[in-house]
Amino acid sequence: MTRGIAGFGADHHLQTTRLVDLAVHLPVKIEFIETGEKVEELLPKLYAMVGTGLIEMHDTTIVKPAERKQDQTAPDGPALKREGKAKMMRIYIGENDKWNGKPLYEGIVNGLRSNDIAGVTVYRGILGYGANRRIHKDATLSLSHDRPILLSVVDTEEKLKAFMPILDQMVQQGLVVLSDADVIKYTHNYEKAERRQEAWI
Amino acid sequence: MKLEGKAKMLRIHFGEDDKWHGKPLYEAIVVKCRELDIAGASVFRGIEGYGASSLIHKKHLLRSSDRPIMVSVIDTEQNIDKLLPALDEMVDEGLIAMSEVDVIRYVHQEGVRSPAS
Repeated sequence: MTRGIAGFGADHHLQTTRLVDLAVHLPVKIEFIETGEKVEELLPKLYAMVGTGLIEMHDTTIVKPAERKQDQTAPDGPALKREGKAKMMRIYIGENDKWNGKPLYEGIVNGLRSNDIAGVTVYRGILGYGANRRIHKDATLSLSHDRPILLSVVDTEEKLKAFMPILDQMVQQGLVVLSDADVIKYTHNYEKAERRQEAWI
Repeated sequence: MKLEGKAKMLRIHFGEDDKWHGKPLYEAIVVKCRELDIAGASVFRGIEGYGASSLIHKKHLLRSSDRPIMVSVIDTEQNIDKLLPALDEMVDEGLIAMSEVDVIRYVHQEGVRSPAS
């Protein structure tokens, strides 16, 4: 389970804060890797629990299972009710990257929102390096504050492709990758969204 | 360094307290990736989770914390294959998953620092 530092989802209500640790409505992603059968078994429960959130699923190959006693083969494509094919876009940048004087990740989130992209979650890493070989480090390891930032975006291929030219302008240094995803649940609670106040200007 | 088209994404899941030769395992993995000239690696720390040992990794206010760590590595299949034997040796109790991704953009400007750095 990871907690993002900014993002928006089905209700298009932007959740962000500069005082990350005090925020209550930051996006949270719970990720797990299991066989198709187990996932299928769990899905009804998840449906009941995940209110207006997004459940996303994609095939992956287990390179090294967590327990060594058995050789697991890659799970086959889970045979469950699919609500649509989608793409997941991951954007890797640095925390210090700027766009028009503001943090680049904020700029991208705003850009995605104004282009009506279904949702995005921003994660801040603690260590890493990328295209320019700069080590992005956590403050506890050095004085540098340029930690890695990951934006995870899910929408249809067409909508993400349409956003590419804008992204191309914004990301000067970074990596953008696309992978297949199956959207399992995506709900938009209009009533709740209307009652909420806009937290972003 | 060139990275475009089809690539592989590795996600390595383990705990924050896992060590490799006395150093945090996540640091050791990033160093190994650089040694092998892997295109990039990012380390993320989760807030709660559990894994192979079914122990809940969670942050405690007073006790030491073993929160979940996820290292994400993206490169060509060829380069990822170079990394796998090293990871197999280093990651004792953890999960390594590989997926296919399409690289849309990868910028490498030698000697050019981003305006913000």
